[in-house]
Amino acid sequence: MFLHILKYELKNGLRNKDLIIWLILFPIVLGTFFKIAFGSVYEKTEKFSTIPVAVVETAENQAFRQVLESIESADEPFLSASFVNKEKAEKMLDDGDVEGIIFSGDKLSLTVKEKGIQETMLSAFVKQYSVREKIATDALTAAPEKAQEVIAALTGETVSSCREIPLTQGNPDIYIQYFYNLIAMVALFGCMTGMHITITNQADLSALGARNNCSPAHKSLSVLAGFAGSCVLQTICMVICVTFLAFVLRVDFGDRLPLVYPAAILGGILGVAFGFFVGSLARVGEKAKTAILMTTTMLLCFFSGLMIGNMKAFVAEKVPWLNEINPAALTSDCFYCLNLYEDYDRFISKLITMAVITVIFIFLGFITSRRKKYASI
Amino acid sequence: MQVFKAMTRVMRKRLLSAMIYIIVFLVISVFIANVSNKDNKFELTKLRICVFDEDDTPESRALTEFIGKSNDLVELENDRDTMIDALYYMQVNYVLTINKGYAEKIAAGDTADLFGSYHIDESYSVVYMGQFLDEYTTSVKAYLAMGRTMDEAVAATEESLSQETQVDMLRVDKAGNSHFSVDFSMYFQYMPYVLVSAVMIVICQVLVTMSRKDIRFRTNCSCLRDSEYTFQLFFGSGLFVLGVWLLLMIVGAVINEEMYSGRAWLAVFNSLIFSVVVAAIAVFVSSFEPKDNVLNLITQILGLGMSFLCGVFIPTSMLSGSVLSAARFMPAYWYIKANNMIADIQPYSFEGVMKCYGVQLLFVAALVLLTLLVRRVKYSGAAIGTSVKKAAVS
Repeated sequence: MFLHILKYELKNGLRNKDLIIWLILFPIVLGTFFKIAFGSVYEKTEKFSTIPVAVVETAENQAFRQVLESIESADEPFLSASFVNKEKAEKMLDDGDVEGIIFSGDKLSLTVKEKGIQETMLSAFVKQYSVREKIATDALTAAPEKAQEVIAALTGETVSSCREIPLTQGNPDIYIQYFYNLIAMVALFGCMTGMHITITNQADLSALGARNNCSPAHKSLSVLAGFAGSCVLQTICMVICVTFLAFVLRVDFGDRLPLVYPAAILGGILGVAFGFFVGSLARVGEKAKTAILMTTTMLLCFFSGLMIGNMKAFVAEKVPWLNEINPAALTSDCFYCLNLYEDYDRFISKLITMAVITVIFIFLGFITSRRKKYASI
Repeated sequence: MQVFKAMTRVMRKRLLSAMIYIIVFLVISVFIANVSNKDNKFELTKLRICVFDEDDTPESRALTEFIGKSNDLVELENDRDTMIDALYYMQVNYVLTINKGYAEKIAAGDTADLFGSYHIDESYSVVYMGQFLDEYTTSVKAYLAMGRTMDEAVAATEESLSQETQVDMLRVDKAGNSHFSVDFSMYFQYMPYVLVSAVMIVICQVLVTMSRKDIRFRTNCSCLRDSEYTFQLFFGSGLFVLGVWLLLMIVGAVINEEMYSGRAWLAVFNSLIFSVVVAAIAVFVSSFEPKDNVLNLITQILGLGMSFLCGVFIPTSMLSGSVLSAARFMPAYWYIKANNMIADIQPYSFEGVMKCYGVQLLFVAALVLLTLLVRRVKYSGAAIGTSVKKAAVS
């Protein structure tokens, strides 16, 4: 009987248009939009690359030209200069071809279009030039006999004073977390399939429920088969979602992709259990249940960072316990841990928390859905 | 006005979901308006830096203090996972360790390996701070070479590094003359998403309900003239779109703390044209009579799609060339282009803005023609005849 109900549960699920639209099509569309929009933002705004700059020479400044040439000869130069006239430079800045215009003459000045880290770096570069000038003048006025030494200290080949210590080999792109949360959202959408278990088993909510209730099959058996069916369907959706993101959109999940699948599937089962629990909690209609579930799901996803990128860090600072119990945050954290942490401690602890919450939801779902009597419907 | 009355009754049911979009948008706008900085003067970017001072000498403390003058110092636990979290979520831009022996090494003129920088990627902050630290140590070394004491060298370095540099903005009076600041343009920039979502959700639903078979047949056999029916339908939809647009404009003026003037009127007019475009899209979509769930999906795809592809959520400068060339085939691209011109984000020209208006109006014309075509095919005698036959056979 279990297999019989399971078979029909699966057939029913696969023919459900809502399931196909919201658990398969919508994530594919939203994921594609995320990829188009956030695909190159990190590269363009955070990751260092040579800063293009226009140089307008208002007067001859041979020394500055030499400085630029020596900078540009490096392997990965800090800036690349193009010498142009003022009109051309302003046009280039307007069109976004360069980040700033350096006017070189007796004194250096900088013109920029926006305020940001690249502009700050250019301003620091211009300042560096005048700092060196000041030090040389100080040396000439205070200790002319040591001027040679000072100039040697300023211009000599110096090794970097700073040793860089990489913390992780993972993908540092913060915009990837939108994809993590997209998977978490699909996982939580599993609550809709979870809710249908109770709808089809509650006689006052659907004709199918009424029919199921008067069948000789044991109720716990039919609920269990329904739950198993929902889990199978949700697993299929999660696998499609992760596969699409990883292989079609080529989202970089780090080098532990095979572990992303079980984490996503567990998240999906958690979603189903959540829907099963809420669905059996109250005797309200399908529409009200859907509204409750959708609102809760979107709220949980909001706090996990689906709409605002660093929401999770904000929550971690203000209400840290929320991240520890929010199913969306837990699911997306699993992917984050797999990507950035070298060890598995936090990943495993997240999985255990998710498993515990799932078991609690299933247990409560069974408790609240049993022994319901329908005097009249 | 029975048709109009019936429309408003259906509308009322859907109003709540539209209001959710509008209210969330307005709340976020008010929040952004309060935190935004209206003047257009250049400011250095302040980094959030965490310093672990392992040397703990007067020299290292002086350096920490100096870094803190132009940046924000943040305290973190010295733990790998905490640092990864903070760097990843950009709570901290740079984590610096001043190594033990810093003071001794620098006094001896050795500038190698004085610091350690924990990082997760070669970001701009990492390169910038690396250059800053090199500059700081080189200057101290140079002053020490002049024969100054350590304290004097540090003080002189700080003095020379604190010099002001002349940095100008390309267009200083961006906000001043145009009466349309970059910050305020954000309000108009996000508007397409809200307009598409709110208008589509209501108008499509209403039009689909009104053209449901039983309602349509009932209306068709009434004494109401076809033209009168269409007029009432358009009147109702137009009134709703105009209402939503007017609400957004009034709240916009309140947020901006002044009545629109100068170039801001161009933006107002731009949004009015876009509202008409959205209404035309809604009428077009509803002529296919999609089911509820399909309609929701279409609304989301159109709203989010145009927002992500045309530069509503992400500035156009961040989008790749191929995305932008595809976006040209969507009305929101021209809306955003006009908005960017008006706000001086792109070079402003009156003709350019007019061209964007023109393209949007062309979209309206094309959509109206397509809608007429679809309706003609769908509701023509032949089509109805076929559907009746089909029904009879089944």
